[in-house]
Amino acid sequence: MIDRAVRSSGSGASTRSRRLLLWALVASCLLFSFACAKPKPEPPALLAPTEEQMKIRNMQTRTFDISDRKVAMRGVISALQDLGFIIERANEPLGMVTGARFAEPNYYDVVGITVTVRQANASQTTIRANALFNNEPITDPEVYRNFFATLERSFFIGRN
Amino acid sequence: MRSLTPAFAVFVLLVAAGCSTGPKTTSKDLFVLTEDSAANKAMQTRLFETKNTNELLSASAAALQDLGFQVTETDRSLGFLRAAKERSAREYGQEIRRGIVAFLTTLLSAFSQGGNTIVLIPVDLQQQIAASLIAQPVQEDDKRQEVRIVFYRLVWKGDGQSGDTYLPPGEQRMEMLRDAEIYQQFFARLSKSVFLEAEKI
Repeated sequence: MIDRAVRSSGSGASTRSRRLLLWALVASCLLFSFACAKPKPEPPALLAPTEEQMKIRNMQTRTFDISDRKVAMRGVISALQDLGFIIERANEPLGMVTGARFAEPNYYDVVGITVTVRQANASQTTIRANALFNNEPITDPEVYRNFFATLERSFFIGRN
Repeated sequence: MRSLTPAFAVFVLLVAAGCSTGPKTTSKDLFVLTEDSAANKAMQTRLFETKNTNELLSASAAALQDLGFQVTETDRSLGFLRAAKERSAREYGQEIRRGIVAFLTTLLSAFSQGGNTIVLIPVDLQQQIAASLIAQPVQEDDKRQEVRIVFYRLVWKGDGQSGDTYLPPGEQRMEMLRDAEIYQQFFARLSKSVFLEAEKI
């Protein structure tokens, strides 16, 4: 009788330790999932101009030897359409074109772009593009290089 | 020790799934012309022998109105026009699948003692079909005008259920419409309304 009681209390202790181990696993699992979704630290000064901003602006801007602003805007529209963008808004007096496209085949990602066309001088126009990927600004210079390459191609086709 | 094995498997799966988000398109790929670009352009574009962009633009608006669209935005100087229409997105296939899954999971729920396992897959309810159109001269002072239109749609899903969890309605999905027939229909209507023959590029 005593022997059986000791045995049963021993097996109770082992189930308790097993249960403890299980809880530890669940807790560590939760911790892991929190670690993945760590929020990004906020920038220290939200509206202050930084060197980074100047760099981004430089790579977003390019000047073309086109005297007519309207021709430049038409080139921008054609380039965006060739890239598969939907033209959402276009305003000639402001020189602004806004487009968006779904990052196919992933229809949940959205890319947005705003292009502004400004007359730099009598023979040149300045074009600036701002692109967003899922509401986050794109800061990769290659993206803008690719866009301007397509734009140049579109101007070339338009001229010939 | 046997009870620990499934817990461990779940743990491994969670760690594996927690950080990955599946195949993702990077923003770099999205600003490069692809093999489909030229084919899409050919499908979406027609040329018209006219000098009058305004006439072409208003004829495009009329053609879209004939197809049940409502014009939402325009810019005459750039020859830009956007239109949209809302329609039901319900499909028999989806409704049947929802019914079969609901039936099977209800059976499962009745025979198992593990609680509610009923699954109701959300189905597409409502869709907005939209079009973005540009009519512009092929070259400055050219007699030919180019009309390019892009059709796309946004689909909203209805509500659903997964076990005891209620899935609220309103989940959104977007897609480009690449069905050549839609484009042909539109251009046929447009050429009829401007009394001009549309040329393929």
